Amino acid sequence: MLWRKSWLETRTRFLIGLFLLLLLAAGNVFEYPRVSALIPATRSIDSGGALGGLIRKAVELQRDYRGFIWWQWFRQNLTQTWTLFAVLLGTGGLLSQTSGGAASFTLSMPVSRTRVIGVRAATAIAELLALALAPSLLLPLLSPAVGQSYGIADALVHGACVFAAGLIFFSLAFLLSSVFNDIWRPALMACVVAVVLAIGEQIVADGSRYGIFGAMTAEVYFRTGGLPWPGLFVSAAASAVMLYGAAVNIAEQDF
Amino acid sequence: MLFRPNPSLGVPIYLQLMEQVKHAVETGALRPGEQLPGIRPLAEELVINPNTVAKAYRELEHEGVIELRHGAGAFVSANAPAKKVTDSLRAGQTIVASAVERLRARGLSEDEIRRLFEAELAGLRTPGGHRG
Amino acid sequence: MADRRTIETLDLRKSFGTTEALRGLNLDVPAGSIFGFLGRNGAGKTTTIKILLGMTRPTAGEARVFGLPANARDSSVEIRRRTGFVSEDKELYEYMTVDEIVRFTAAFYPKWQGELEQRYLRTFELPLATRIKALSRGARTKLALLLALCRGAELLVLDEPTSGLDPAMTEEVLQALVAHVARQETTIFFSSHQIAEVDQIADRIAIIDRGRAVVAGELEELRERYRRIQLVFDGGAPQPAFRAPGVERIRREGRVLTVLSSAGAERIVDEARALNPVSVDVVPVTLKEIFLETVSAED
Repeated sequence: MLWRKSWLETRTRFLIGLFLLLLLAAGNVFEYPRVSALIPATRSIDSGGALGGLIRKAVELQRDYRGFIWWQWFRQNLTQTWTLFAVLLGTGGLLSQTSGGAASFTLSMPVSRTRVIGVRAATAIAELLALALAPSLLLPLLSPAVGQSYGIADALVHGACVFAAGLIFFSLAFLLSSVFNDIWRPALMACVVAVVLAIGEQIVADGSRYGIFGAMTAEVYFRTGGLPWPGLFVSAAASAVMLYGAAVNIAEQDF
Repeated sequence: MLFRPNPSLGVPIYLQLMEQVKHAVETGALRPGEQLPGIRPLAEELVINPNTVAKAYRELEHEGVIELRHGAGAFVSANAPAKKVTDSLRAGQTIVASAVERLRARGLSEDEIRRLFEAELAGLRTPGGHRG
Repeated sequence: MADRRTIETLDLRKSFGTTEALRGLNLDVPAGSIFGFLGRNGAGKTTTIKILLGMTRPTAGEARVFGLPANARDSSVEIRRRTGFVSEDKELYEYMTVDEIVRFTAAFYPKWQGELEQRYLRTFELPLATRIKALSRGARTKLALLLALCRGAELLVLDEPTSGLDPAMTEEVLQALVAHVARQETTIFFSSHQIAEVDQIADRIAIIDRGRAVVAGELEELRERYRRIQLVFDGGAPQPAFRAPGVERIRREGRVLTVLSSAGAERIVDEARALNPVSVDVVPVTLKEIFLETVSAED
C-alpha cells in the first residue's frame, strides 16, 4: 500500500512531466524539416570569435538528423526539463508533511521510516526512468513521419544516460527534503546547484567530458559510441551517499 | 430507568449508581429476583466506564442488595437485607423530610441545605474511603 | 486483573533545544483501563504520546509500551502493530477517498476487523467515495477513530479525540470508545483538556503540568480523597502550618481559610479546630477543581 500511496502523491508531477516531455520530443521531430531548410542560409553568416565558433559548431552538428536530435533533444530539452522534474519529484517527502500533512498518521503505521522513504524514493526513481525513456523512444517512432530514422539503441542509451547521470539531482533534492520541512527550499537549492554545475562545466576545460551534464548529454557516446563513465560513476556514488544521508536524517528526526 | 450519573457532583460515579439501584429496589421499580442490565450494555447506555459499573455491582453484591450469578448476570436479591434497607430508607426519608423542613424554616436555601448534607457526609468518610 | 502495565514511563525527559517539555514524567497505565491524561496546552501531553509511538525520542528516562522500549527502532514497529492512534490534528491523506484510506490502513494490520469497519462506517455515516479533503471536521475525526478502532489493537492512544466536536458528536465518540472497551480487551490512553469527558469515562487519570505528573491515580479514589476544607474565623484568618500530610493549597481571604487536601482531611480538620474557627466545612472536590488547583496559573 505504500507504493500506491507514493504513486498517488507523485502522479500529478509525473504525468505533467510525461505529457510535457512527450510534447517536446514530438515537437523536436516535427521541427526538423523547417530547421534543415534554414541551414543552407547560415553558410552566408560571416561570424568570427568564440560566439561565431559556437554557432558554426551548432550548425554543423545539426546538419544531419542524428546530430540535430542530439543537439536539440538530448543536449537541451530532455536534459533540462528532466532535471527540473528530477528535482520536483525529489521534494515533498515525509518531513514536509509534518504540518498540514499526515506525517503522524504515516508514522503511526507499523513500518520503519526507512521503508516509507525507500518506497517513496523507488517510486520516484521508476517514474524518472520512464520520463527519460518514454519520450526518447518516441523519436524512433515518429521520425519516419518527417522522412528520417532514429535508432532505438541510440534513444535508449541516451535516455539511460540522462537518467543515470541526472539521478544526482533527484538525490540532492531528496536529501535536502530530509533537512528542510518545506518544499520550496529543497527545490530551489537543488535547481541552483544544477545551474551552477551546468555553467561550471562549460567554463572549466574538459568539464563537459567529465562532468554530470556531460554524462547526461552523453556527448562522448554521440561522437564515439563510448559511454561517459566518469560522470556516471560520480552520479551513482554521490546519489547513493545522499540517499543514505536522507534515510539517516529521517530516522533521527523528531516528528 | 437508570439515569446518567453526574461526574461533577464530586461523588464517585459508582456510588451514584449504587444509590440509584438501591432506590429502584426500594420504590419497587426493581423487584427481588429481577435481572439488572448487564455490565457492558449498561456502561454503553450510560456512556461510563465498564469498570465503574462492575465496581458498583460488586459493592451492591457485598451489601446483599443484588446477586451476581456467574454467566447469567446480576439479579436483585430475594432476601431480607434489601427489605431492611427499604425500611431504613423509609425511616430515613421521614427524618430527612423533617430536617429539610426545619432548615427551610430557618431561611436556608436549597443549595445551602444540599451543601450541608454533602459536607456532613464527606466529613464522615475515613481517608482512603471505600475501597473495592 | 493481571498486573500488567500497558504503558509505563520512568522519569521521562524531553528537551527541545533549551525548552524542557518533559521533566521527569512517571506514568503507569494498567491493562484494560481507560486512562485520561489531562493537562493544559503545552504541558507535554502530545510530546508524551509521540514518544510512546516512536515519533520522537526522549532525552532521558524510559518509556515502555507492552513492556517494550518505545525508543528502539524494532520494538517501536511492534508497538505500533498493536496500537491504534488518533493524532491531535486528525490529519489524513487529503487526496485519498474514505475507501482508499481504509484499504490503505487495513493492509498494515492482519487483525483488521472487517465487521467493525462496516458497523462504524454505518454508525458514523462515512461516505466511501468522498475525498478526505471534502469531509467536515467531525467526519474526519470519526474516520480517524474508525481507522484506529478497527486495527484489532490492544491499545488505543488518542490525542484529544473530541476536540472541535459538537456535544452530540462528542457523545457519539465517547459511546464508541466505551462500547469498544466493553467488548474487546483494550486499553485506552487519551489526552484531553475536556474535564467532563475524562470525568465520564476514565477510570484512571494523570494530570500533567509543566512536564511532570502532579496528580495520578484511580479517579474514584481521587474523588474520595480530595476535600476542600473551609474555615471561617472571627478575626483575620491565621497562617497555619499544618503538620498533617496531604495539604495541597492554602488560600487566605480575609476571615476565610480554604485548604485543598489530597488525603487525610480528618487530621487536617482536627488540627484546624485547634485554631478555633467559627465554622468548619468539608466538601467534596470535583475533578475540574482538582485540575484547576493543581496546574500552575502561568507557564
